[in-house]
Amino acid sequence: MKHTIQAVALWENRAPEHSITTIMITEDQKTIVTGSSEGQICLWHLSEDMKITSKAILFGHTTAVTCLAKARDFEKQPYIVSATEDGEMCVWNVANSQCIENAKLPYKHTAICYYHCSFRMTGEGWLLCCGHYQDVLIVDAKTLQVLNTFQTQASDWISCMCIVHSTRIQEDSLVAISVAGDLQVWDLSSSVNSIQEKQNVYELESKFLELPNCCAVRFCTFTERLLLVICSSSWRVFDYCDFSLLCTEIHKGNQSFAGGEFLARNRLIIWTVDGHSYIYQLLNSGLSKSVCPTEGGILKETITPQLLCSTSVEKKNVCAMGFMNERKEPFLKILYSGDISGRISFWHIPDILVPQTDGSPQEVQRKTTITLQEIFDRHKSMSEGIIDHLVTHEEGMAYVMITSSIYIANLDKLVCGCENGKIVITSALHAARARLLKDHLLLKGSLPHKIFEGHNFSITSLLYPHGESEKFDPTWLISGDQNSTVIWRDVFTGQIFHKFFLQAGSIMKLLVPPDDYKVKLFQTVYCICSDNSVALLNLQERMCLFHARKHLFPVKMLKWHPIEDVLIVGCEDGSVYVWEIETGTLERHETGDIAKAILSSCENYNIVMADSIITSSKEVQRNRRTTYKSSNSYKLGTLSHNLFQNEKASNKAADSSYISRPFSVVPVKSKYNISLHLLLFDLEKVLELLHLSQANGLKSANSFSTYDALKTVKNSSEKRPLTLKRNKTAGSFYQGDGQMPETFVQENVGHLNEESGGTKRNKKFKSSKRNKIESEGKIDVNMITDAAKLFLSCLVPWGLDKELDIFCIRHLDILEIQSSVTFGIISSVDHIGLMLPGWNQIVNNDNSAISLHHSFIKKVMELSSKYSMATQKQSEKCSHQECNHFNTMNLNTLAYILKKLCVVSKGLRMEPVSTFSSIISQEKMESVRVKWKSSEHFNSFSMFSAELLQDKNFPEPENVSLIKLVSSWKGQSVQVIEAMQAVLLAELKRRMQSVLETVITTQPIAVVDSVDNGHTSHPESSDSIELQSIANHSMQSPGAVVKCESESKSVKFQEDEVSQEKCGLEDSDSPDDMKQNAWMAKMCYCKVC
Amino acid sequence: MATAAASASSTERSVLEEEFKWLLKEEVHSVLKQLQDILKEASRRFTLPGGVGEGPTKQENFALGTTSSDQVKGILTLQGDTLCQAEVNLKTLRTNQLLHFAFREDKQWKMQQIQDARNHVNQAIYLLTNRGENYTFQTGAEVLKLMDAVMLQLTRARNRLTTPATMTLPEVATSGLTKMFTPALPPDILLNFYVNVNKLCLLVYQLHALQPNSTKNFRPSGSAVLHNPGAMFELNNQRFEVSHVHKVECVVPWLNDALVFFTVSLQLCQQLKDKISVFSSYWNFRPY
Repeated sequence: MKHTIQAVALWENRAPEHSITTIMITEDQKTIVTGSSEGQICLWHLSEDMKITSKAILFGHTTAVTCLAKARDFEKQPYIVSATEDGEMCVWNVANSQCIENAKLPYKHTAICYYHCSFRMTGEGWLLCCGHYQDVLIVDAKTLQVLNTFQTQASDWISCMCIVHSTRIQEDSLVAISVAGDLQVWDLSSSVNSIQEKQNVYELESKFLELPNCCAVRFCTFTERLLLVICSSSWRVFDYCDFSLLCTEIHKGNQSFAGGEFLARNRLIIWTVDGHSYIYQLLNSGLSKSVCPTEGGILKETITPQLLCSTSVEKKNVCAMGFMNERKEPFLKILYSGDISGRISFWHIPDILVPQTDGSPQEVQRKTTITLQEIFDRHKSMSEGIIDHLVTHEEGMAYVMITSSIYIANLDKLVCGCENGKIVITSALHAARARLLKDHLLLKGSLPHKIFEGHNFSITSLLYPHGESEKFDPTWLISGDQNSTVIWRDVFTGQIFHKFFLQAGSIMKLLVPPDDYKVKLFQTVYCICSDNSVALLNLQERMCLFHARKHLFPVKMLKWHPIEDVLIVGCEDGSVYVWEIETGTLERHETGDIAKAILSSCENYNIVMADSIITSSKEVQRNRRTTYKSSNSYKLGTLSHNLFQNEKASNKAADSSYISRPFSVVPVKSKYNISLHLLLFDLEKVLELLHLSQANGLKSANSFSTYDALKTVKNSSEKRPLTLKRNKTAGSFYQGDGQMPETFVQENVGHLNEESGGTKRNKKFKSSKRNKIESEGKIDVNMITDAAKLFLSCLVPWGLDKELDIFCIRHLDILEIQSSVTFGIISSVDHIGLMLPGWNQIVNNDNSAISLHHSFIKKVMELSSKYSMATQKQSEKCSHQECNHFNTMNLNTLAYILKKLCVVSKGLRMEPVSTFSSIISQEKMESVRVKWKSSEHFNSFSMFSAELLQDKNFPEPENVSLIKLVSSWKGQSVQVIEAMQAVLLAELKRRMQSVLETVITTQPIAVVDSVDNGHTSHPESSDSIELQSIANHSMQSPGAVVKCESESKSVKFQEDEVSQEKCGLEDSDSPDDMKQNAWMAKMCYCKVC
Repeated sequence: MATAAASASSTERSVLEEEFKWLLKEEVHSVLKQLQDILKEASRRFTLPGGVGEGPTKQENFALGTTSSDQVKGILTLQGDTLCQAEVNLKTLRTNQLLHFAFREDKQWKMQQIQDARNHVNQAIYLLTNRGENYTFQTGAEVLKLMDAVMLQLTRARNRLTTPATMTLPEVATSGLTKMFTPALPPDILLNFYVNVNKLCLLVYQLHALQPNSTKNFRPSGSAVLHNPGAMFELNNQRFEVSHVHKVECVVPWLNDALVFFTVSLQLCQQLKDKISVFSSYWNFRPY
């Protein structure tokens, strides 16, 4: 698994659909968690004055979330658990949006209660689950494995339950009501042992209540006596002691109750399915007014409810509601609801409730309400479409919605299909830069792009067939629209080869069979249409081969028989249709078991379909998961191209298709439109390629002013013409303009356009095909540098310190960002959390005077200072060396910083197995060295010398201390992004310091460098340096503009080094440091000698 | 159809909108009513076999058998989802002796498949009753979501009946069913009940113990609905091999009815979804 992949989300104008199915508030009343029928979980921040802002959205589930619950003692670990329709369970850390654990069980849970009994239980506690299965399951909160069940004699589904914890009774119990209306009680605390020993546990008591459709059961913790049972048509209060009925209230009109809770002593709140709620006071009528333990049960008092207050909503929508009633200060009594349209609402229930003077109930006004879309509208700068600046807006339309998009990795092109039928093609990196960076605003209009017309309706699907299979021409692009039109065209020129008219509703999906499937028919594309038909288009013959229209239910799966020439279509209802491809006749139609057998018989040749939002991290997904999912779930890959690649890949090569890209874009589709584009940066890959390119003597990033740069421009322009040549439309389009600084971009465009008229282009054109194929394997260095810079731009805490900003812009050659960046938190192969626009409001409201783009500033600062403290000793000497080098070898700096970030990211994401514990002790250094081998590649300038180094190399001491620090952060649930920012900040500050010093001590910075001094120009590897690499480097460095550095100066530095080393030795008091320093000193001495 | 929408004049557009409103206000509710009626009928089958009459769940007797052989015969009494009586007659091949077992008086066996199917249908009905006639659907998407939820329940109900659970032989042996008979089952006989589509099935496995030092290659069999002769498993350190399998079954008519109702309602749901979806192309993916 890649630990160095970083994600940045580019949201569109439209917020993702979020039909809330379940809602909860964490115990600190700071975070609201909502689960949606689309499968995402949204985290919202609730401020003390009841203002709501969105925080993050968690991708991971693909079916509706059915329930949420806390999963740990919240004060210790802010974990929640989510369960879905298809039985997935996930534990999330709501503080940093990470997925802690996930599992898939064949159970659909409808309610989960967390139970922990610290003095009897080992482990993290239990999740008691009930749902669409018999009995109550006991799931381990840590591993999510089923430990045992609470069994009943008449086993049936449990519809609701609650934990009864009472100091009076001295025993925790579980009260549950089955769908048939049986109330059952189990001992919890006293059965802990027998459950851990896997014995059968049966109910203690049971009573038949004759209440079908119970929705909730609640125990009154105030009186420790009353039990509230809510079913859809009525609610009742029982005496917990003997389960005798105290009162019944039947619903008025047609409302059906959904839940309820005790507000206070003898006061309760009941809410309905459509979002209304009612607060009742329970009045004791009958003999005794005081609540006393029942004696004998003969003198039974009855209770009459009086309606005190109510809350209502204008729009009747199906709601999930809850009530938060913490008795700790300064917490509020909050009634909250989330409805199917994604709106969440809050009511603050006052402590004193009185009916109006005439006795009619008072209405409590809604305190606050918000939807995700409202937040998106408020933060325009963060929710601006990726191609908004390219598309001219039509009258009456605020923006153009992207309904489909694909990223062509080997061309770095982003193809967006819009709702108005236009297809916009642009360079993905450029679009991302224009969207994120400040100065790019000016360029927005002039960014190279192309717009293809041809469709009259919104584009519903796009396909770049070459990306799926080699047998297709790399210039082909196929698009399908809502009106059943499929257009096959040239991706470079927009020339339309053919239009297919299918008359079958909108084209849901375009796909090609897997590569290893032997087809008689060459170059065919399958279309899945909204009328449940499948069309087979033959591109060469330009005709529709056959159109399978018999399916009654939506197509879920397409499979190809390995030998016979048949297409197997699996439908949503489980039926299977077998079509003969050549003749287009329906060979078989099967349902049930036989259908299953047919589908499983050609397991390896399937393409699964989906239309829900699919977790974007599918991209990062391993093969294991993919095949597992596709073979037994209904999930589909909207990101199917990735899915397919993974499926095709064998286990060992699972990652290869993705990993080979240092930068890529993943469009994430919701039902009708693209809701976001996810930019993925693979830091490790970036580093690797940067160094590789340097080693190969390719152009360096800062050489644009030199002859080299001119050559670069030429080189790249030579490649481009092949696209330009064919380009008959006005828009110019070229790929990978690379490292050219922004000021150059426009000139370049002009330059290229000029040249494109030239005759030598024609020659190039002929070889275009070959060139293109070559370019697939190669990745442009400039693109990588740009991607790396873009990522740093996102990460740098702008606005914190003016000097630092200027420093970054001037020396790192990165640009300030336009607004806050929404990062992604990748926690596992297919679980990813994405920040939502508005997340920066959470902390910002207090220091809004400084317009900060990053809200964790405070935390980042703290971490940053910790980091600089920890690494000071080692790095002081380095920084002196680096500074000389800094201004000219900008790429090195970049690489150095990236390497640090890589280490942080790895450290935080890696499982804590052995890695960290072993680092501490020197004896185990060897094993660490192996682990970090990859990062050491970057020490040297060539992969070759890195290999040589490996044998003698040890982990750099600075990294060791960094890893130690990072591992301590890991325990404090520090976000990867925060940690990376902190490290970046500290490094930048240090660098800025050193540069400032250099300015004072040396003459013109631009010309300062050293050819003679190997290790000064080799900052990161000063400790692990080796003669070979010095030689190596000095051979490579002449590319830069150089001037000799004064001998005396470097000598002085070396003296400094030595003296600092000694200081370090004296200062260190911990044994670890001691060892390190001693070892380091040894190395250093060697080197100096 | 969609092309028409593009060039549609404003009057056409307003007509379309009217039609969509009618669909949401009238047509949807009439379909939902129809669905509810069908599902209530299906649900009634589970509690009152035959679908008529009132009162407690009726008991029904079923005779199990096959046409091919008469080695195993059984008489089962089914009350809703519960097997309250069972009698099994088994003629063993080797010894040719006749064995007779029956449920103990105090024991009943829940057919989980039937119970789950019934509960899923009731869930579907519950979802529908929440959107009664006086509920106004504001968007088509809302109807689609409701239909998806109902269809999910119905599909699960149907799948529960059509796909019996696969079990390993040790699971069958420890399932508790073996302890319910009087006289107690001999150790070399295993029983299992399940529902397959509209049939109630009884499986009888005759085992023979493998000698610990037997040269036979021991390979424990995995999960299956029906284990064939030759399947091996290990229980309490004793290895067994299935020597004979007998399967007897009988048709439960009301299960068939219920399955037909499920299929019909699923199709109704899909048709309603299709009706709503037709309009989506007019609204060009704006919330409709």
